[in-house]
Amino acid sequence: MAEATRIAPDLAGPEWILALNQTAARGRRGRHWAMPEGSFAASLVMRPGGGPAQAALRSFVASLALREAFLAVGVPAGAIRLKWPNDVLLNGGKVAGILLESLGSAQGVSHLVIGIGVNLAAAPDRSMVEPGALTPVSLRDETGLQITPEAFLGPLAAAFDRIERQFVTYGFAPIRTEWLSHAARLGDTITARTAREQTTGVFETVDEAGSIVLETSRGRRVIPAAEIYF
Amino acid sequence: MANKTHDGDVAFIRALAELLRENDLTELQVKRDYGADDSLNVRVSRQMQMVQSAPAPAMHAAPAPISGPAAADAAPAPAPSVDPAQDPNAVTSPMVGTAYLQPEPGTPSFVAVGDKVAEGQTLMIIEAMKTMNQIPSPKSGTVKRILVEDGAPVEFGAPLMIIE
Repeated sequence: MAEATRIAPDLAGPEWILALNQTAARGRRGRHWAMPEGSFAASLVMRPGGGPAQAALRSFVASLALREAFLAVGVPAGAIRLKWPNDVLLNGGKVAGILLESLGSAQGVSHLVIGIGVNLAAAPDRSMVEPGALTPVSLRDETGLQITPEAFLGPLAAAFDRIERQFVTYGFAPIRTEWLSHAARLGDTITARTAREQTTGVFETVDEAGSIVLETSRGRRVIPAAEIYF
Repeated sequence: MANKTHDGDVAFIRALAELLRENDLTELQVKRDYGADDSLNVRVSRQMQMVQSAPAPAMHAAPAPISGPAAADAAPAPAPSVDPAQDPNAVTSPMVGTAYLQPEPGTPSFVAVGDKVAEGQTLMIIEAMKTMNQIPSPKSGTVKRILVEDGAPVEFGAPLMIIE
């Protein structure tokens, strides 16, 4: 992803970069991201236009595309749920991670880099993840499917392209509706943790700006950035 | 001022800030008289969102930055109320999210007060929905003030830094 970010200004975009080996894998805010052999790691570099709030909605586009890619390689639809904002769960475990970076200029977002990691063949050890986080799982362990990173990229790129067009043409509304129909723990009590505080409440919806909405004992809370625990 | 009074004042200001947030007010001013020439004058205000250019952003119930401590003044004289949002040199937030002053936890900050910055240089990151948005300096200049703390929530239009 660092390499994708480095060369982003030279790319007309959109362009996918598939890593055959990851040397500097990273998660959100310095979190560890391990890449066992056979994993998928790719970055999409694009020039989305619009401001950063709009760019951030690609979290939902990317997670929907990832869901479709799993369906395309044979995963049953019922096995996949989406965790706000962009985690993809397979049989309730974390099978993929998505991290986005927008590069700004004084005029707005110049480039957006979407980094996607998928545990295709093996999952990192449970001890590698922080307490309370979901158990890592792999596609092969959960479904028996053996898919190479190269074979996964095709359906993912195609799905992203289709959903991105839908987003650009019709806006966030249909993306939001579709995402909510696959959301994990909608209506359940969950916890959102930010750098400063922790909010527990009923996961009511995702609003038109993509923020998660929790109904708490102290009222409705709209949270744009957090780690979700359940 | 005795520490006990100070703690009480802080608790009082915190309660006002809470009140402000819960009732969705933008400003609250209270004067408390302790004695003949001993009083506490507190003004707590939130960032005004509606003064930003149209289209107006969706209102969020996420905690807005409270400029409480800075507006509190133990002297009878009213606190100075220069609103950084009105400062033409303010860099404002293009989105709601969480502000990060460092590229990654444990690394040096992007910029510090007194640093010279070039146009387009990254000043901080604002995260929303696992998207790390690098906020570029709109112009070349010197960082005069940093108005948000690392990990703090920011609203659309909130002043982040003063670059002169």
